[in-house]
Amino acid sequence: MPDLASRVRRLLSLIPYVLKHQGVDIGGLCDVFEISRDQLMKDLNLIFMCGQPDYTPADLMEVDIDGDYVYIRMADYFARPLRFTPAELSGLYLACSSLVKLSGSSSSPALVSATEKIAGVLGGAAVSQQDIEEKVEIHSVAPEHEDIAKLSRAADGCRVVEMEYYTYGRDDLTRRRVHPLSLVFGMGHWYLRAWDEKRGETRVFRVDRIKNLEMTEETFEPPREEKEEDRSPFEVTESKGTEVHLRVHPSLARWAREQPIFKETEEDGDYLICKLNTTELAWVERELLNFGPKVEILSPPELKERLRERVRNLLSIYED
Amino acid sequence: MNKAERLINLIAMLLEANRPVTLERIRSSIPGYQQSTMASFKRMFERDKSDLREMGVPIHVEHVDAFGEEVGYRIPKREYYLPELEFTQEEKVALLLVNRLSTGEVIPLSRETHSALLKLSPDLGAGSRMGQPASPPWRFGAPSGSVEDLTDLWEAVVERRTVRITYQSLGGDEERERSLDPYGLYFDRGAWYVVGYCHLRKEIRSFRVSRIRSGVELDRSQEEGPDFERPPDFRLEDHARILPWEFEEGSEYQAVVRFSPKIAWLVERDLGDVYRFKPRKGGGGTLYVRVRNEDGFLNWVLSFAEDAEVISPPELREKVKDRLHLILENLGGEADA
Repeated sequence: MPDLASRVRRLLSLIPYVLKHQGVDIGGLCDVFEISRDQLMKDLNLIFMCGQPDYTPADLMEVDIDGDYVYIRMADYFARPLRFTPAELSGLYLACSSLVKLSGSSSSPALVSATEKIAGVLGGAAVSQQDIEEKVEIHSVAPEHEDIAKLSRAADGCRVVEMEYYTYGRDDLTRRRVHPLSLVFGMGHWYLRAWDEKRGETRVFRVDRIKNLEMTEETFEPPREEKEEDRSPFEVTESKGTEVHLRVHPSLARWAREQPIFKETEEDGDYLICKLNTTELAWVERELLNFGPKVEILSPPELKERLRERVRNLLSIYED
Repeated sequence: MNKAERLINLIAMLLEANRPVTLERIRSSIPGYQQSTMASFKRMFERDKSDLREMGVPIHVEHVDAFGEEVGYRIPKREYYLPELEFTQEEKVALLLVNRLSTGEVIPLSRETHSALLKLSPDLGAGSRMGQPASPPWRFGAPSGSVEDLTDLWEAVVERRTVRITYQSLGGDEERERSLDPYGLYFDRGAWYVVGYCHLRKEIRSFRVSRIRSGVELDRSQEEGPDFERPPDFRLEDHARILPWEFEEGSEYQAVVRFSPKIAWLVERDLGDVYRFKPRKGGGGTLYVRVRNEDGFLNWVLSFAEDAEVISPPELREKVKDRLHLILENLGGEADA
């Protein structure tokens, strides 16, 4: 049933789309409606079977596929899509205001004017702007200086960017020159995919860990179409590097199970043994300081030794 | 006969009709209805009508003429058609980004937003293409937790309906069912929380949406809402972003923490809107933190290792030392080896 409803909804927008854009190409239609070529053909065949009584050829909608191009005629009654439901209109308003908040910009004129146009024609939604203000809070660790907008412009204009970046894994601040490719929001943070000149590879950076961002006058050659959409920047489990085994106190066991960083967990009575791989130990040390006595290091011994050293250092800060 | 086909034909017929169309005429006209008996046709038609209304198709029931008893059905064009909208290129790009956000299912009503944007697609043209390189090049990944739960909670917040949820708290309690008057939703660090009055604990609490194990049910689904009033002095921002060291227990006091230049700017960026941050010459700075839950606070400060130092109060410095000694003991080491 949900499939049927979503298909009918799609058909009711697909027909007016083609009516307004006669001769649109098949690939384009598939993109807009996010369907396969096969599904599109099924949809067009269905449209071809529908119309007004008595459903003689003269009463049916006319669908023409000329090579790669699609035409629909005799379907004036479907000249416009169906109106929004109250939930759709609310969703649209909510999404517009969320987008402004998530991107950390104080406002986006185009988004505001688009929303106003919609509201002007369609009137109020089931929720008011005030509802949205009072009832949803969206906090993203949005960097100042409109870094998101800056990086978008840099990616758009293929401009090389210089930045100072804090690498959490190594607990280190370094200067880098990068070619911004795209921005991804996920797990509560914005990530920048960019080509790192010095390292000669594409890396993922967390935008809120960029300290100083400068757009240079230099441009870069955009990389040849790579299948970047398939790659998730949120791959947190590493397969190489040192294997670390930790024994986690029962009070943290449930929390630990939720953490994607652990590639493997096994029960040890009420305790939980957690395993992860990492090429950097610096961040593990900090996490271990965070959890204090509740997490015990089983291996490697090197990690134990490094942490001991760190704790002694810290104690010396507090001794005087 | 395909049901989608039947529904499209039904909409087309009722849209084109100048006068209400009788059941008899609908049955004799639309191929999908013709084969069935009157009784089964009526059941079929009722289901179709309610499916279409659920999609938002405005089907009116009207008397066929001024005198008769007979009713007919009609879809007024003015109520059906989405008015035409003209967008500038910039607005199209902005709406394309909204479409990407809805595909990511990051926020409540994402699916509804997505279907709204599909309806705008004729006016957006190729601007609504998901596949074409967007400008700006943004993508969105979904947070954990289901967008259905989130949408149900949002609707309950707006309509002020009490909900029932089974919640798995991290504290170690087993799953418990509780009713909740949801006052608002907030999003922080990739997770959604619902804030509201918990009837089990008899206080205002926050719940992480991804830890709801049951789905969201209305507590009094048979009754009309609203079920509660939101207290007039309730402000969502007082409950959103409660940091781990501000939770419950203990009385509140202020701690002063100094951060190294390497890390201070990050701390300021993250917490500068909540606490006072005083920058120091040559980088670094001091943060004035409200503390309630000492354990949580110590965890946080120590996670910065040498880049953070508790300056005051002195008792708290002592506690940092105690904690460090304890860690060292567990590591099997001496303080001054």
